[in-house]
This record gives sequence, structure tokens and C-alpha cells, in this order.
Amino acid sequence: MKILFVDDERDVEDLFRQKFRKEIRSGKLELAFAFSGQEALELLSTDNPPKFVYVFSDINMPGMSGLELLEEIKSRFPLIQVSMISAYGDQENYDKAMSSGAKGFFTKPVDFDSLKKEISSLIEDRD
Amino acid sequence: MILINLISLSLLYYLKKSSGAREFPEHLHRYFKYGMIAAGVLIALGIVHAPPEILFELLSFVLVGAVVYLMLNTPELSYLKTLAITPLPIIGVRLLEYVIKTLSPAIFDIVENYLDAAGVFAFIWAVTMWLNHRKQMKEIEIERIITKEQERQLRTTEEQKNQLETLVAERTKEILSQKEELQYALDHLRSTQEQLIQQEKLASLGQLTAGIAHEIKNPLNFVNNFSELSVDFLQEISEEMPKIPDSPEKENILDLLENVKSNLGKIRHHGSRADSIVRSMLMHSRGGSGTMDPTDLNALIREYSNLAFHGMRANPNPINVDIQLSLDETLPKVKLNAEDFSRVILNLLKNAFDAMRDKLATAGSDYKARVEVRTQDLGDKVLVEVEDNGPGVPDHIKDKLLMPFFTTKKGTEGTGLGLSITHDIVNSHEGTLEISTEEGKFTRFTILLPKR
Repeated sequence: MKILFVDDERDVEDLFRQKFRKEIRSGKLELAFAFSGQEALELLSTDNPPKFVYVFSDINMPGMSGLELLEEIKSRFPLIQVSMISAYGDQENYDKAMSSGAKGFFTKPVDFDSLKKEISSLIEDRD
Repeated sequence: MILINLISLSLLYYLKKSSGAREFPEHLHRYFKYGMIAAGVLIALGIVHAPPEILFELLSFVLVGAVVYLMLNTPELSYLKTLAITPLPIIGVRLLEYVIKTLSPAIFDIVENYLDAAGVFAFIWAVTMWLNHRKQMKEIEIERIITKEQERQLRTTEEQKNQLETLVAERTKEILSQKEELQYALDHLRSTQEQLIQQEKLASLGQLTAGIAHEIKNPLNFVNNFSELSVDFLQEISEEMPKIPDSPEKENILDLLENVKSNLGKIRHHGSRADSIVRSMLMHSRGGSGTMDPTDLNALIREYSNLAFHGMRANPNPINVDIQLSLDETLPKVKLNAEDFSRVILNLLKNAFDAMRDKLATAGSDYKARVEVRTQDLGDKVLVEVEDNGPGVPDHIKDKLLMPFFTTKKGTEGTGLGLSITHDIVNSHEGTLEISTEEGKFTRFTILLPKR
């Protein structure tokens, strides 16, 4: 199962790879990283239909914002689930994300337990 | 003889008449009266030629002499000098005639012609003097009128001057009080400006703090996450280690790993410390972003009265206060911004404490500071009341209480914003804030909030 993380902070890749080390080693999970909305869309478009089932995106990024990316993904790849991860857990962003079709909304610092739960429920669904 | 007495009579009559215009002393009037009576009697005696004629003639001369003497030697009559000397030549000629006739009629016959001539000259003299006197009198009269007029003008001028002076004094007072008011307004403006600058600085500091806190939060998250991960990994390593055969190197590695683990634990610990500091900085600088949520008003009041009380006790000049909570337990949840509304409770209680502290300083030991907080369900509205038994608010400043920057507290003790902010918060809840007070007895703030 392939999941895409979108965040302009490059260290996010190391962090998530290490966090999901076991899942990745067991082959249950495959992670990809994009550092801008544009890059994420490019990655998603390489295969048709895309192999990714889930996208986690930051909201505040230079260039395309996470919310714009969300709308783009939802219109181009409606089957892909998208959840937002933001440092600004305000009501406005939350409402906007949810009305644009986001599946979940996580606030930074990320609670890895709930993130892991979300991902393992996905894995179980596929199994 | 009759002529002499007529002179006396007319002089006296003139004097008595002219006394109407001038004030003569009482004794002069008496003299005039008796003199006129005497002259009248002597005239009558002269007409009937009553003997002894010689004595009466002498008396006539004495009377006229006395009248002239009186006129010449009385200060009040000095202005009549010309009149006094008018009849003198006539009297002199008559006296000479009388003396010569009495002493030697023979000589009288010889000098009679001369005496007659002298009489004519004396008469001419008298007429001249009389005219002279009339002229003088007129001049005096004119002078008198002029003087009177001048006096009148002087008096008018004086009056006008006085009026002007009062007017000037009034204006000066007005200007002074206006100056005072302006000075007060200026001072007020200055302190307001200073406060605004201070607030502006604080506000920008708050924004800066929020910005910094936000910027620090992201790298801090990495520090915390990676250190946590590393601790987990070390745990895994220590689980794997027993599978490796023992060796001195392995022992060294285990020892070092133990140190790394403890170091990471410390990084994690201090990282979360920094995280909690950043979190509280963000919480403080966050302003007015709270939402209106159904809130248990009674619980909020309990919590914040407690906080206000302990806050006051922890600050300088704590006082003993009996806080009574009369809360309506049937009160439903009220939709309000709990963060803002808690400031209302804090502000009103702080205000009450400050007022009662002032009263404690002046009132006797019988005074017990007491504040009561009440809630009540009024159907479509909710009532919140804070009542203290402090010094009350004088009428003339009651209207100003809610004005920004108005404060009765001296120096820098009060910002003058507490009640103003309270009022704003109540307004933002579409509620009303009213003050009822009696000087020396109580002050009561009544808030009515719509239920919605």
C-alpha cells in the first residue's frame, strides 16, 4: 500500500520512515515524499491509475497550499483519500479542509499513535 | 434808624433764604430768627418814635454791627463777604450822623451837607457792591453746578469702572478655570497617549511572541520526535543485543548505548519543557479568538472568584474579604466566550477588592469587607450581579466609570481600562451592564445576558 506525504520540511521524510520502519520492512507499507504540492501532483500523475491510496499533506507550504492540493487531488483522483496535517489547528482551516473532502485533520506536533491507527486501519481494510 | 434796621432785616432774610441751598448749623438759624425779630421790633419802635429814641438807635447800630460781624467771622458765611461789606459805608455815614447829632447838634448843622453827599456815595457804593455780589453769587452757583456735574460724572465713571472690574474679574476667573480644564485635558491626553504607546508596544510584542513561538514550534517538534524515535530504536537495539555473543567490545557498546539512551531521554525531557513554554506563550498572545460556546456560568463564576480572591491575596496589600456566591443552580448553560467572560468576573471582583481596600483604610474596625456574586434565571435573560459593601461611587463620577482610561486609583495603580474592557465584553455578548450605588454603602454591577 502506497502512501504519499507532502511537506516542505525535508526531515519529515526521515521522521516518517523511521516511525513506520517496521511496517515498511514488512512490506505492508510503502512511503513516498513530496516537498511541494506541485511535486506531489507530478508523483501522483506518473502512473495511471495512481498507485497511491492515501495522501497526508501539510497545509502551510510555499507555492501551492495543502488546501489547494487537496482540491486538485479530489477533482483529479477522487479515489485517493487525503488527510491534512497542520500546525495551525484553527477552526477555519479545519472547516475548509473538511468541506473540500478531507478524510482527517491532524495537528502538529503529530500524534503518531493516532496516525499509526489511521494507517493500520487502512492496511487492515486492504487485507 | 428804620433804614439801618431794614438793612439788618434784609441781610438776615437773605441769609435765612440762602440757607435753603446750603446747610447752615442749627445755631446760625437761631441767630437769624432772633435777629429778624429784633430788627422788626426796632422798626416798629422807629415808626412810632418811641422814647428813648437814642437808645433804640444805638441798639439798631449794635444789631446791624452784630449781623455784619457774624457774616464776616463765620466760616460758613465767608462766601458772603461782599454782601457783608455792601451796607458798611451807609451804616458808617449813619453812625457818624448819629454820633455828631447826639454829641453836638451845632456841628451836625455844619457838616450835614457833607454827610448827605457821603450818604449818596455810600448808596452808590452799596449798589455797586450789591451788583458785584450778585455776579459773584452767580459765578459761585455756576461753579457749584459744574462741580456737581463733575462729581456726578466722576461717580458714573467710578461705577462704570467698578462694573468693568467685576466683569474683568469674572472673565479672568472663567479663563483660569478653562485653563485648568484644558491643562487637565492635556495631561489626560498625554497619559492616554503614553498608555496607548505602551499598549501598542505590548500588542506588537504579543504578535512577535506568537510569531517566534510558532517558528520555534516546528524545529522543536523535530527535536522531540527524533529523540523519541531514537529512544525507541535504542530499546529495539537492547532487545537485539542478547543475540550477539558476549565480548569486551559488546560490553563497551552496551555501556555507551546506555549513555546515549540517557542523553536522548534528557533531550526529550528538555524538549518537552520548551514545548510547554512555547505552548503557553501562544496561549497568552492569542487574543479574542475564542468562540461562543454553551458554558456553565456558575462553574465559571466559582472558578474565577476563587482565582480573583487568591490572586488578590498573593499581591501586595491583601485584604480579608467575605465572598458570597448566591448562584441559581437551575441556570441553564449560557452561550458565551468563556475566556472573555472570565475577565469580566475577574475585573469586577478586582474592582470591588480595590474599592473595599480603600474603605478598610478609612472605616473603623467594625467594617467587614463583603462581596456577593449572584446569578439568576430571568426567563429570556440571565442576570449576573457583583455587589460589594465598599465606599460606593459619588454621583458625579458614576457616568464616567465605563469610560476608557477613567480611573480613581492614584498613580499607576489603575489603567482605567478594567471597567471599560468589561463593558466592551458584555456588549460583545449583546448584554447590558448597569451600575447602582449608594455612597458609603454599596456598589452593584448588574449584567443581563440574553439566553438565545
